[in-house]
Amino acid sequence: MSAIVTDPQIAAKVQNAIAEALGLDDDEVEADARLMEDLGAESLDFLDIVFRLERTFNVKIPRGGIEAQATNTEDEGPYELDGVLTELGRKRLAQAMPEVPAEDFKAGLKASEIPTLFRVATFTRLVITLLEEKKKGA
Amino acid sequence: MALGRQAVGRPGQICKVGIKDVAHGVVVSVPLVPEELLADQEGALQGMVQGVLASGAVQAVGLGSLLSVVAGRGESLAQRVSVPVTTGNAATAWAAWRNLHQVLDEHGKQRVALLGFSGGVGGVLAELLAEDGVDVVLGGSGKVLERRAKKLGFELLPEEQAAASAKVIVGAATTGGTLDPSVLQDNSVLLDVALPPTLKAGARPSGLRVLAGEAVGLPPGWIRDGWGQLYHLFAGYGPWQLFACLAEPLVLAASGRDRPYAQGRKVYPQDVRDFGLAAEALGMQPRLARGWMQAPG
Repeated sequence: MSAIVTDPQIAAKVQNAIAEALGLDDDEVEADARLMEDLGAESLDFLDIVFRLERTFNVKIPRGGIEAQATNTEDEGPYELDGVLTELGRKRLAQAMPEVPAEDFKAGLKASEIPTLFRVATFTRLVITLLEEKKKGA
Repeated sequence: MALGRQAVGRPGQICKVGIKDVAHGVVVSVPLVPEELLADQEGALQGMVQGVLASGAVQAVGLGSLLSVVAGRGESLAQRVSVPVTTGNAATAWAAWRNLHQVLDEHGKQRVALLGFSGGVGGVLAELLAEDGVDVVLGGSGKVLERRAKKLGFELLPEEQAAASAKVIVGAATTGGTLDPSVLQDNSVLLDVALPPTLKAGARPSGLRVLAGEAVGLPPGWIRDGWGQLYHLFAGYGPWQLFACLAEPLVLAASGRDRPYAQGRKVYPQDVRDFGLAAEALGMQPRLARGWMQAPG
């Protein structure tokens, strides 16, 4: 996993929110666990996770926030073609999700498959980023 | 009370339904389209709170459709109102559980593929079927599900492989349109609990029977006002059956129970059984149906 900024207290709260949303025990939710593949999350569960995180941290998580961060490639070229991420799209997504191992961004990755990449640490990083932005804006 | 969607405006009453001299309910809409519900869960929660407060002295609240999955699956609303809030998942699981046993009685005991094991309804169905000694293959993947499947003594396979390995399939995923029908065996039976339906578009195998998994027949003394007649039709219930999200709060109110049958993601087997006993005491029975019609045996 790439080095990312983290905070044990925030990480613990994120893990707790995810555990509650998925009906799991806290110790089943490890930082590098994939939400869908490892923890059995379904697409609707992301809604619940986002809601719990927004309430826990008093932040607003924009819908598609992670993807939007990665897809701002207008000046450089297309992000996806026919639903499949371009090399540029995969590169930008990997930059936006440093907690995801590079090998997960394999050629042929579809835009619709991006949620399968999400890990517990993805949400921790997102929350930390939003809290930092909020602090700067205060 | 059940909550659904209205086209525009503030939360408002759609119709009245109930069981004569036992329990009465109002169906209230929260006027948000799905995109709005998903984008603004706090707003959805506010709408639900307003809807409950506008309904007077209610004894139970049921959440229909998307309202049962946004804003903490009933938990946040329960913190804001002083009555039990229930999602309908116990009633769904009870109807699917009982309907599945009817299918097995008709077609003979055999292996069952249960899709959507990771969800609340799929999870509790797996637990109930393990207790019943039914031979089940679970659809899903991942470490957590593997551990749970092992604990129940069931095999866990990717969804399509699981579906292909049995002639009786229960589709209990929380989202529909997930299964390619071509993977199913000829003359198989799909008991569909998912909304939208489990199957993707495409050619279906010969002799496939698709049955509604969560329908409940109308109990004796069922009453509905004029709008209620229309609601039954337009909401997809048809004239002779209820869906779980409407049955569960009525049973909850009638039983006098002070806690929900289902709230949050996890659904517990004992709550499903308790719901079933209370529902049967009111004359409710699962209804194995094809669309609006009773399925022929």
